[in-house]
Amino acid sequence: MTALQATTPVLPPIARSPGYWSGVVRRVSRDPVAMTALCVIVALILMAVFASSIAPADPFKSAMLRRLKPIGTPGFPLGADELGRDMLSRLIYGARLSLLMGLTPVPIAFIIGSALGITAGYVGGLTNTLIMRTIDVFYAFPSVLLAVALSGALGAGLTNALVSITLVFIPPIARVAESVTTQVRSLDYIDAARASGAGAFTIIRVHVLGNVLGPIFVYATGLVSVSMILASGLSFLGLGVRPPEPEWGLMLNTLRTAIYNQPLVAALPGAMIFITSIAFNVLADGLRAAMDVKS
Amino acid sequence: MIPAPDTLVTDPRDRGGPAQSLLSVNGLVKHFPVKGSGFFGRGGMVRAVDGVSFDIRKGETLGVVGESGCGKSTTARLLMHLIKPDHGEIIFDGEKVGIDLPLSEYRRQVQMVFQDSYASLNPRLTIEDSITFGPRIHGMAETAARAKAHDLLARVGLDPSRFAGRYPHELSGGQRQRVNIARALALDPRLLILDEAVSALDKSVEAQVLNLLQDLKADFGLTYMFISHDLNVVRFMVDRVMVMYLGTVAELGEGEAVFAAPSHPYTAALLASMPKMDPSERTIEAPLTGDPPNPINPPAGCRFHPRCKLAEPVCATIQPPLTASAEGTSQAACLALVPQSGHTHAAKLLLPVQDIESMLMPEASA
Amino acid sequence: MSNLVSIEGLTVTFTGRGKPVRAVDHVSLEVEKGSVLVLLGESGSGKSVTLRSLLRLHPEKTSKVEGRIIVDGHDIMALSKTEIGDVRGRTVSMIFQEPMLALDPVYTLGQQITEAILRHEDVTPEQAHSRALELFEKVQIPSPERRLNAYPHEMSGGMRQRAMIALALACRPKVLLADEPTTALDATVQIQILLLLRALQRELGLSIVFVTHDIGVAVEIADKIAVMYAGRIVESGSVADILHTPRHPYTRGLLASRVERAKKGDRLQTIPGSPPDLTALPAGCAFAPRCDKATAACREQVPSLVTGAFDHAVACIHA
Repeated sequence: MTALQATTPVLPPIARSPGYWSGVVRRVSRDPVAMTALCVIVALILMAVFASSIAPADPFKSAMLRRLKPIGTPGFPLGADELGRDMLSRLIYGARLSLLMGLTPVPIAFIIGSALGITAGYVGGLTNTLIMRTIDVFYAFPSVLLAVALSGALGAGLTNALVSITLVFIPPIARVAESVTTQVRSLDYIDAARASGAGAFTIIRVHVLGNVLGPIFVYATGLVSVSMILASGLSFLGLGVRPPEPEWGLMLNTLRTAIYNQPLVAALPGAMIFITSIAFNVLADGLRAAMDVKS
Repeated sequence: MIPAPDTLVTDPRDRGGPAQSLLSVNGLVKHFPVKGSGFFGRGGMVRAVDGVSFDIRKGETLGVVGESGCGKSTTARLLMHLIKPDHGEIIFDGEKVGIDLPLSEYRRQVQMVFQDSYASLNPRLTIEDSITFGPRIHGMAETAARAKAHDLLARVGLDPSRFAGRYPHELSGGQRQRVNIARALALDPRLLILDEAVSALDKSVEAQVLNLLQDLKADFGLTYMFISHDLNVVRFMVDRVMVMYLGTVAELGEGEAVFAAPSHPYTAALLASMPKMDPSERTIEAPLTGDPPNPINPPAGCRFHPRCKLAEPVCATIQPPLTASAEGTSQAACLALVPQSGHTHAAKLLLPVQDIESMLMPEASA
Repeated sequence: MSNLVSIEGLTVTFTGRGKPVRAVDHVSLEVEKGSVLVLLGESGSGKSVTLRSLLRLHPEKTSKVEGRIIVDGHDIMALSKTEIGDVRGRTVSMIFQEPMLALDPVYTLGQQITEAILRHEDVTPEQAHSRALELFEKVQIPSPERRLNAYPHEMSGGMRQRAMIALALACRPKVLLADEPTTALDATVQIQILLLLRALQRELGLSIVFVTHDIGVAVEIADKIAVMYAGRIVESGSVADILHTPRHPYTRGLLASRVERAKKGDRLQTIPGSPPDLTALPAGCAFAPRCDKATAACREQVPSLVTGAFDHAVACIHA
């Protein structure tokens, strides 16, 4: 019974079932709402990437005589802003910075937060208490306040805003990671893996990650819209991107006073933020539904 | 059902020969703090296992029975070293685990099959990957491990070409439990702990798995520790049986003897609680009232005395040791068996009654 | 003896995600007043689904229920939402396998029982409270007054099961439905609950429909047993008839594979194969793939339940 085969055995072919992730992809691709959201997001990303080819005018070119023109003015399909710049071009170029600020903090916070949460959840005991209670201190602050405080401390500017948003997101992701890991940790197959002599790292790699990253990922996807809004908020407060960069939140700020003259034009950047946030949220919901399969 | 000595000695890992116990447990203790008893020490302790000693002989099936709170599952996890005991030692084939015998080597020789067949398998791994995980940890090459997995799947009655590439949710409960058995056998253990391994299965599937377990035991020369709440299954499967109550051993002895004539009042009550199979002989009175108690504050003295029909004041003062019954086929922790313990049923003299009569009245013994 | 519960041609199909599942297929049975019927079967046999149909507990959107169910003269399928609410608890009551799921964790047991009584009867809260106390005494809960003020999580398993029985009997129903109430209990507690149910049944003249997979439990409590397989009744009769003279091959296989009858070291007799996939039932008898007596005729048509002497009915052409 303990002798190994002397020669490498030839194993007969076996029927392979599709794995879990391919099932998720299949289910999401069949969800019309989620697919629509995905198309919107892809369109926005393409718009950002090819902004220089799509935008009709220079987003920085101002003309004081053409300030606050309404939608439909010839030459300015979506109107002009308070410095006479073409809104359409600024909105298209604005996608770059807004999407960047929305999409960058999340993966970084995902990695750091998951590492902390999974460690706390798997090891338990004192390590868990140390990590989670420290995180709780940060979690106790409302995210906007925390972002503003961190940004204020670091100073204005794009990079600092990204850093502060990333820091804001680490605690909630770590919390979700810890909670899911704790649930998985109590299941018998982890005990069976321990009983076969595997070390903690191996068990985490083989048994924990595959079961835990999914739910954390879905949660993180929902954070993209929050990230965008937070970034816009920071720019609005003057803590993020500075003028004359086109960024939707900043545009909302500078167009504040135009609400009384050209409300529609002033609302446009807000509409873009709204569309992008909804798209990400809907996609996250679709992913969650596709992953939650009780087969 | 103990196989001939030849099969045992052939295992190259065998150390002490057939007479030495495969597993010997002495004074095992494990207490858990009560949840929520917090920082400022309302400090209750759940005395899950409170001084358990027994041994498992090579080639036998030892049954472990008991109700909620008796500590049988905790004992199993202590034996698997999934939790560390507070006190006590575990000796495997003459070597102290952790001291003489390294833990990694112990793990290769003792494996466990869990009750929940679904929670025992990683839903993201194929059946094949779940089985090869253990051998690969211990250094087996991938192809060899897969070959072994396929061989074991065939042995437990699952066609590898159909099942190896599947995921746990595609299998039925009985099939998953077979996979769990194959996974446990992948490391070539000598002792298999079956913790309620068939309890969650339908009766017809249970019968198939029990047959399988018997076959595997003979084929692989295994020793089993069979934990179950179902006394009928235990009676069928085991050579010896251990009855646990509130973290202690109430009775330990030959299976048939214990089932036919239990020495401990709790064992008797447990056996009498089994539903009768004859509609004309239904149970009239429940043998025990109330629920199995909580192991947080166990009674002083004998754990069972508050519910025992034979209880007397002395039972609340002394914790009875395991004492051999009159026939010698089992031991029970009951003062009624301990001579001169003060219990009215205990023997006051050292000689059995018949011998005394024959000494006093020689003509009456004719 | 009149029939308190009468089910004719009950068919329940679940149409949720995926293919439709026919969980119950043309089941007909009767329960006499004051008797205990046990639905015996393994998982997937349809016994729990049949039970829940008696109270119309299946979600309307994803289940299709056909057939007639008459309980104490009420046509269950024809009642309106308010009327079925009146029947539940008042005429028919149910106890479950897991009391923690049936009892509300944020109310004391006393509050839950008095609420049930006040829903169905026109009494004062004080009267309801003293009824609750009476019920707790009847189900043999020690220190009943104190226990009425306890929350479900403060009680032990057996005590919770008794509390759930008390809650079910609060409005003096005529029919008690029991869905595996003792499966999760320890042996010594299980026998206590079974004896309690028997005593209550005799005292209150209840009719009980009891679902279980354990033959021993069925023997201890049943007057009549109906054996179910793949959503159909394959055999029914008095408990003595089913136990001593089973006629359907599945019932025979089930009884023969019992561990109680085997000697140590024997191989257990088993029924080969496994229960069928309810989304893809074979045409004809559902048991045929596993039956050693199956012939071509078995695979063509579903055998009908034929009643013989002493109300012993079998659905098998070879019985």
